[in-house]
Amino acid sequence: MPSGVTRLQREAWAILLILLLAGAAVFAHVTTTPEEYSRYNTGWNGTSGFAGEEVRDLKPGVTLLILAPDQPFTPEEVGYCRAFLDNGGDIIIADEEGAANPLLADLGSRIRVRPGNLSSLERDHTDPGLFRVQVTGNASLFAGIETIRVNRPAAVEGGEPLLETSVLTWDDADGDGRITASETFGTAVVCAKEGNLTVLGDPSLFINAMLAENPEFIDNLQPVRIDGVHSRTGTANPIINTRLWIQETPLAAAALAALAVLPVAYRFGRKRDE
Amino acid sequence: MAVAKKYYAAAVLAAWLIIVAFFMVLNRTLDLEVFFVLALIGLLVVAVLIDGAFSQPRYMRYIGYLIAAGVALFAYIVVEKILEILAA
Amino acid sequence: MNRRASHIILAAAAVLVLVLLAGEAASPVLYSAENTSTAAHADPATVQKRSPGNAAAVVPLMDDLLGQTGTLALTIKLKDYESAERDLARYTDLSRQFDRLVVTLDVSGTDIGEFQQNNRQNQEALATLLNDTRRFDDLQRLEVEVRGDDDRHMAVVYEGEALRQKMREGFSAYAKRETETVQIAEHYDVNATPYRESVEDYAEVADAADDWREEIGGGSAPRSPLGIAVTPDEGRYGDLLLIGGTYAGGTPGAPVEVYVDSRIAETVTLDESGGYAYPYSVDRVLAGSHLAYATAGQVYSTVATFEILPGNTAITLALAEVNGTTVACTGNLTTEDDRPVTLAPVLLRVDDGTLIGTETDNNGTYRKEIVLPAGEHTLKAEFHGAGYPLNASESPAETVTVRGEGLSPLPFIAAGAAALGAGWYLRRRRPEESPLTEPHGMVDVVEEVVETPPRVEIAGLPPRDAATVLFRTLRARLGLAETKTPRDCARIAPAHAGFFERYERIRYAGETPSEEELRAMEKVALGGDETAA
Repeated sequence: MPSGVTRLQREAWAILLILLLAGAAVFAHVTTTPEEYSRYNTGWNGTSGFAGEEVRDLKPGVTLLILAPDQPFTPEEVGYCRAFLDNGGDIIIADEEGAANPLLADLGSRIRVRPGNLSSLERDHTDPGLFRVQVTGNASLFAGIETIRVNRPAAVEGGEPLLETSVLTWDDADGDGRITASETFGTAVVCAKEGNLTVLGDPSLFINAMLAENPEFIDNLQPVRIDGVHSRTGTANPIINTRLWIQETPLAAAALAALAVLPVAYRFGRKRDE
Repeated sequence: MAVAKKYYAAAVLAAWLIIVAFFMVLNRTLDLEVFFVLALIGLLVVAVLIDGAFSQPRYMRYIGYLIAAGVALFAYIVVEKILEILAA
Repeated sequence: MNRRASHIILAAAAVLVLVLLAGEAASPVLYSAENTSTAAHADPATVQKRSPGNAAAVVPLMDDLLGQTGTLALTIKLKDYESAERDLARYTDLSRQFDRLVVTLDVSGTDIGEFQQNNRQNQEALATLLNDTRRFDDLQRLEVEVRGDDDRHMAVVYEGEALRQKMREGFSAYAKRETETVQIAEHYDVNATPYRESVEDYAEVADAADDWREEIGGGSAPRSPLGIAVTPDEGRYGDLLLIGGTYAGGTPGAPVEVYVDSRIAETVTLDESGGYAYPYSVDRVLAGSHLAYATAGQVYSTVATFEILPGNTAITLALAEVNGTTVACTGNLTTEDDRPVTLAPVLLRVDDGTLIGTETDNNGTYRKEIVLPAGEHTLKAEFHGAGYPLNASESPAETVTVRGEGLSPLPFIAAGAAALGAGWYLRRRRPEESPLTEPHGMVDVVEEVVETPPRVEIAGLPPRDAATVLFRTLRARLGLAETKTPRDCARIAPAHAGFFERYERIRYAGETPSEEELRAMEKVALGGDETAA
């Protein structure tokens, strides 16, 4: 029985399909990374779902988010931040390891981040670090919100408190999940503010898995720019970095386009000559 | 009739198993019992579809035994799960 | 590679995969994302939810408890005994709830645990105060009645004095707890004002008792003829304190009731010299100061105080497997001085969650068998010192792996039955066919039917149509069904196979028969003799 597509062609289509699928899988594997807080991490602990543009230069009048900084701030950069704050821009520092404390000291702020293992008895999950905190104080950031769910936050000292835990919260120093002899209960402040500077002790609020837990907070935050130089939203993956570099440098993009066009032009050009 | 029916059947069964495995990986849970049950369903569907009423090709001759073994294992799994639920 | 080799390789690969999978059959869940977490955060989608329930109730309950002390003390002061009873019942209920909550939330090591202990002592103190105040009222009325009768009047006075001393002691202990309790209350932002008021009310009640004594006795404490003393006046759990004294003017053999904390402890008899003694064993009483007094008939002694000091305890836990599902937990509960704590409640915490209660026996040993599901479990024994002058203690955590029950035969029976059922069904659906036997049978049935169709039928027809008519004729003549195709006919009647095969080519391959052929076919169709069988 004659058919439009021969057996060989059908096999070729099947192989092409499989190669496409494999290519897609390789592409997905290579262009994502499992690093924490990274923009290119589509897993639960990445920030790929968080809408915020990465910037390397400070423009006045925007909200700047420094997400889990791990790079130190040079004195020049501190100066820029200071000028930015004085010109009316807002800075939100989200840090739970204490790496932002030198910056806070340099900016002349009294707020400090105290890293620890805050655990709460009043929680609705089995993990003691996953609980809700109350919104106190007046801030546009938390307008219309009563509670925020935090994920293993750090305590923040100083400034005007914006987020407070319940009184049955303790710093679990020995990590056994229950309160033992040397630990005491007490309310802890998880977010504090001083003028335009807000310090949030939980950068986990911005990971993909937590974005659905506090939607109004994420909405209130928009529009926001993320500090691309100091936040941990970058990646060490060379392929992604190369792709980013190509996107940012127009010269490289043009060179790549030319490289792609050349063989095609060569092939078709040759054919015409013959 | 360019390709024999049995190759089509094998390809369809393999594709079904790959789809099942893909969704299990997506869900981040690899459960052998669930995979076995879905594979058995696929085998049964394929066996019914390729079965001709008037002839019994060689590859269909012993599929009855395979299906019986599969159903036996399925019954074992089901009863074990029921016992688990009752014990709880 | 030839087909045989590829089949063998395929079969070997299939067998290998099946064997590997069968190895995992015992634990079919090969991988599941459980509790994905890092130091900085946990994936909330994989963390199990649990009901928040209890923890939020702690602070409001503390508030309630302190509020209740205020109302209770007030109603006692106002001598509204009915309301006081109701308040006391509610207060006792709340205290019990609070105790349970503290144990469930496992916070007894914190200041909430101290609050709980203070609360228990407060509850006892207020209950005693209620009873004493009621009795005091009765005494006041009685005193007026028996003014004339000296003996009875003295008895009333002694009892009144005993009560007064009890209230005084009770008040000083109550007031001692005030600072700590208020401090803890402020830590948790609990309203401590009703509690402070209760302390004032208690003071007023005690002062009222003092005033009455002033009125009657005239300043100095009346010396009751029934003396009492506690030696030594402090002790720990398990110690023996001797409560005794002499009754001046008492008849030997008369019964003397010894009360500890307003509850009768023992009835002893006076010996010949008019003395009595009762060895009091420190058992299940709270730490702190306690009162002891004695009555002989109507005569009350003065009130002696003694102190019970808290002690530390140690509890051990040993796990032993009883069978596939049960684990036996045994252990000893002893004080620092190696004294066993008898008949004390011990809690076994399973996997940091479930609490199972048991009791120690007269040797301080406890034993409990717990049924656990299969797998690894962590068990801990805890003693919370509730109602004992002992501090809480817990054993180190022990892990045990429970084997779980053996395989039950039911799934295997079900599998066998299913296999049989499937086999029977498949067999029934496909009977053993032998299509080759059919043609043999059919040939016997073929009958030659002689028919003479009119010749004129085929004369005017085109050759192929003529052949069709001839075929039909022969087919009918041979008695074959009209549904049989030329090929079927050739198979069924091999004698005329040549005719049928030629006709098949004419009909389906588009060949045209020649005149001669038609005539030959006609002959055969009409029953030509040469080829008739």
